[in-house]
Amino acid sequence: MEPGKRRTKDDTWKADDLRKYLWAAQSAGPKEDKKHREKQPQKDLETDLPECREHRRRDPERDARCRDRAAEREKPHRLQDQDQDRHRDRRKDTRSRDREKPKEGHREQATAEKAPSRGKEREKGGHRARRDGLRQAAGCHNLLGWDAQGQPPDRPERRTQAVSKARPEEREPKGEEPEGGDEERERRYRERKLRYGDSRDSPLKYWLYQEEGERPHRWQEERKRREKSHARERRDKSAKDSSHSLSDRGGEERRRDRRLTEGFPSEDERLRGHADRKDRPWREEQWRRVAKNGEHRSRGAGSKKDETGSQHAENSGRNNGRDKDSRRKHGREEGALEWKLARRRGSEEAVEIGKEDADSENAGAGEHTAGFEDDFEDYEDDFEVCDGDEDSGLDALESAEMAEELPPARRREIEEIRKAIHAENERVGELSLKLLESPGQVERGRGAGPGANNSPSQTPVCGILVDFATASHRQKSRTQALKQKMRSTKLLRLIDLDFSFTFSLLDLPPVNEYDMYIRSFGKKNTKQAYVQCNEDHVERDVQTEEVETREVWTQHPGESAAVSGGSDRGSPGGAAVVPKVDTPRLCSFLRAACQVIAVLLEEDRVAAEPSWPPRAQDCTLPLSDGSVPFNTGLLFLQNRRVTCVHASQAQRRIVVSVHGLPGKASAPLLDSRHLLCVWDIWQPSGPQKVLLCESEVTCCCFSPCKAFLLFAGTAHGSVLVWDLREDARIHCSLKLSGCSWTFRTSTFSTDGVLTSVNHRSPLRAIEPVSASVCKRQSCVLSPFSAPEETSGLSFHIASLDESGVLNVWVVVELPRADLAGSISDLGLIPGGRIKLLHSTAVHLGGSLFHKGDEFWVSTQTLNVKFLPSDPDRFVVGTDMGLVCHGTRQERRVFPRLFRPQQQGVRPVRVNVVDFSPFGEPVFLAGCSDGSLRLHQLTAELPRLQWDHSTGGRAINGLHWSLTRPAMFLVWDDASCIYVWDLLESDLGPVAKQSVSPDRLVAMTVVGEAEKTRGSFLALVLARASGSVDVQYLRREWATPAGDERRRLRLLLQEAP
Amino acid sequence: MSVTASFSAVDGLPDTEKNPGESENTYILRPIFQQRFRPSVVKDCIHAVLKQELANAEYSPEEMPQLTKRLSENIKDKLKEMGFDRYKMVVQVVIGEQRGEGVFMAARCFWDADTDNCTHDIFMNDSLFCVVAAFGCFYY
Repeated sequence: MEPGKRRTKDDTWKADDLRKYLWAAQSAGPKEDKKHREKQPQKDLETDLPECREHRRRDPERDARCRDRAAEREKPHRLQDQDQDRHRDRRKDTRSRDREKPKEGHREQATAEKAPSRGKEREKGGHRARRDGLRQAAGCHNLLGWDAQGQPPDRPERRTQAVSKARPEEREPKGEEPEGGDEERERRYRERKLRYGDSRDSPLKYWLYQEEGERPHRWQEERKRREKSHARERRDKSAKDSSHSLSDRGGEERRRDRRLTEGFPSEDERLRGHADRKDRPWREEQWRRVAKNGEHRSRGAGSKKDETGSQHAENSGRNNGRDKDSRRKHGREEGALEWKLARRRGSEEAVEIGKEDADSENAGAGEHTAGFEDDFEDYEDDFEVCDGDEDSGLDALESAEMAEELPPARRREIEEIRKAIHAENERVGELSLKLLESPGQVERGRGAGPGANNSPSQTPVCGILVDFATASHRQKSRTQALKQKMRSTKLLRLIDLDFSFTFSLLDLPPVNEYDMYIRSFGKKNTKQAYVQCNEDHVERDVQTEEVETREVWTQHPGESAAVSGGSDRGSPGGAAVVPKVDTPRLCSFLRAACQVIAVLLEEDRVAAEPSWPPRAQDCTLPLSDGSVPFNTGLLFLQNRRVTCVHASQAQRRIVVSVHGLPGKASAPLLDSRHLLCVWDIWQPSGPQKVLLCESEVTCCCFSPCKAFLLFAGTAHGSVLVWDLREDARIHCSLKLSGCSWTFRTSTFSTDGVLTSVNHRSPLRAIEPVSASVCKRQSCVLSPFSAPEETSGLSFHIASLDESGVLNVWVVVELPRADLAGSISDLGLIPGGRIKLLHSTAVHLGGSLFHKGDEFWVSTQTLNVKFLPSDPDRFVVGTDMGLVCHGTRQERRVFPRLFRPQQQGVRPVRVNVVDFSPFGEPVFLAGCSDGSLRLHQLTAELPRLQWDHSTGGRAINGLHWSLTRPAMFLVWDDASCIYVWDLLESDLGPVAKQSVSPDRLVAMTVVGEAEKTRGSFLALVLARASGSVDVQYLRREWATPAGDERRRLRLLLQEAP
Repeated sequence: MSVTASFSAVDGLPDTEKNPGESENTYILRPIFQQRFRPSVVKDCIHAVLKQELANAEYSPEEMPQLTKRLSENIKDKLKEMGFDRYKMVVQVVIGEQRGEGVFMAARCFWDADTDNCTHDIFMNDSLFCVVAAFGCFYY
């Protein structure tokens, strides 16, 4: 507050000091002070010194002034003038003492403001107090005027605020824009209020001043014109009242600006200003009366009567502080009222009142008896605080105006003053130009306006220039800001702003103490000596374990040994993975795979080792392409005579050989047992299965569809079944010559059970009832039967013993194996699932032969064959040369007997009966007398009969070829094999081969008419020495011709 | 730690400003797609500048104010050259010494998220860290 206030005062002094100076020509004491003060503003501007210095200087001045005042009363005025002249002449020589007289009014004006504080001070009697009062008074004015007046030019920002308001007004001349005019008027009013309302003396002073000059008529006219817009004015006023200090400041500013723009040449404006000044108080009073409350009004009224009282009251209120601002304002208004009253009374009276007032104050002070002039000077001192430049400028001009009416001496004085003012302003202006170059440039740029002729030299005060320049700048920026604001409001509707999420620009965690330590000191004084991992191997440097590595090559053109996964060594992956094993499935797979692999290996070995079967090479018969001997040299097969060989009908390569009791003991456990060996002709190195049998096996057969069941009839009359699928674990196993062999006992045996229906004679034949027919029947009878039954197990077994009893057995497979053995199913091995049920028994002795047959009693049945086309019917060979024909249901069939061509009953054993496997309704019968008969099923007598084909030797075996319908093989007891081909010759065998020296004891035929591998036909020959070999017949006998069956039929029909 | 921020205003007022009397203004509310503020590009630019300028910089309290000022001006000029039309660029450079203290810096903006954007890049070496944040605000 201090510097600003000081500066304000100083600024205001600039112009007024002149007046004061002039006025003080009469009273020399204060003048000296004023001269000093005059210089101070310049100093301030030039050096920008703090005001305190100036203030310090003033205080002594004031003191001196007081002292002067006291002295003044004793001394003549002239003397004081001379004293002051020294100082005055030092600065301005041109000024004369005469000029001071007319300036009395100005001086009065300037001093007027000081009056209240002075009065108070006097009451206190202390100079310090007086200064305080001054300061306070100045502070009050400061609110209104200091900003514009006291602001140094280098602080434009404060000023611009006011300028922005003043701008439109500044631009528009008063008449054109009524709003601007009103504002101006209002502003003027306020400004006057400021100037005069603060001190009670100011109105007097004002009117004194005013009355001096002649008022032109124009003023009156203008006043009338303006009164039209009173209402609006008041409205504006009330609006502005709220922002009192600001608008006042603005008003002050505007005043300056206007003067600047219009300049001195605008007389009209200046005159109008005066008129305004006169009008305002009255108008204000009127308005106040209407608008303000009674208290104020009454107060105003009271103040009319007693100026001093109101003044003091006002002063006290002002001194109370700034919060009394509004009240102060009212006070000022009251002051304005007083002006009007004063005008009515007359200028003289007003002066009188002022003097009286001052007198009374002085009287109150007691010791100080200063004269009016002194008082006035002081008042002026105070007044100039807020009076400002306008007064100086305007008053100077007005004084020039007045000078027209004044006497020439006085006019000269005024002229002098004006010159001085100009000189002063010039200096200031230059200074300000320096300080504010850019605003000056702006102003010049705007030169087209009314202020175009305002050269810096003409600018009266530096503050004015600065204000204008910055104001124009301000104006520009204000309009710009307005535009921007409008634009922004429009834009803000279109866009929406929002807060972004918080970007984390940097997050640097603090380094903890340990890290810091390690970073700075961790590496110091340390070195790596050695590494030790294990406690117990201190002697070794590095003890980490070796890293496991593995080389793998995955690229296509393989290099090195690492291709495709590398070496297997050290691959730990396989051990880790435990695969889930479906054990039964794996077993079955392995079993099958083993068989396949074994077959393949066997074949390879046979091909690769020509030297292995040297005997076999020797044994190859002339009628065969090659031969393969079965490995009967096994320990348990040694010295055993083969009694029978049999081939499966379904699987032609499966052959079973029946071995009798050994000649000399080799294996004690097996010596008393008969053995059956199941061979695969492709695996001659060893039997597939080895079966044990207690009794001598006389005949055997396989299950018809699949060769997994083996049936055998024994000399004891029992029927045995072996289930070849059984697990080897339920059978005994022997380790012989480095190999483990499983010897299977029969799964089911009728021996000792089923005694009521069992055979009581040695079995001669056992035959499966044809599966194909069974299937057909079952399909007809039970269409809902399971496929398993039809495929494998739904068949019957017929067994024939010597006494002519034909038993038919049903093969039953149990659903579940019982390893603990079964109580109900006697004869079943524990864990076995196959058993036989007796179905029917056919007593051939009663049905086949009639009473007329005298030889019947001794007749033996030697063999039985079921018709392939009708399993219900069978033929039975007897020892009477007859072949009986019968059915299981004991129906009568024709022909009942098949007789030889020779009449009469002869004791000829029909050793062999065999049906054609190609479905031809013919069968061959071989007899012990060497005769061979070809019977048709429809005729009792044979179609063909060869009696001497074997030279009278008994026929032991006879087999139809499995590949060629018209071919069959016969061997006799002289170990001679005959090959018959009916198409080639129906008179005798086409080939004859004697097997020697190892006599033939059994023979069977295996063969398949396969298209893919080529059909083969082989003879399985069991020798007397116990060896078994396979003779593959020559290709011409194995490979069928195209229409062989047709030609056979033709042959059979044509035959006599 | 020294902080310097450089501001630059690219281009001024649109044509519509010329006649405020018009009721309908055609404001440009969105930048041209090619000229929009692309953080990745700006980041690359900043990164390049930082790598070049701070390659072997050591922290010294006396030089850092000038360095930050130079960096920010440099980056700002580079960004202006990149042709983000009608964008006001604000580049803030913070350089601090690496003494192990934790530092956390964050920024939050009140803006039009459709047009305005910002990016930042960090350079660190043993003696100092430097964080550069560049904000691009669109002038409508």
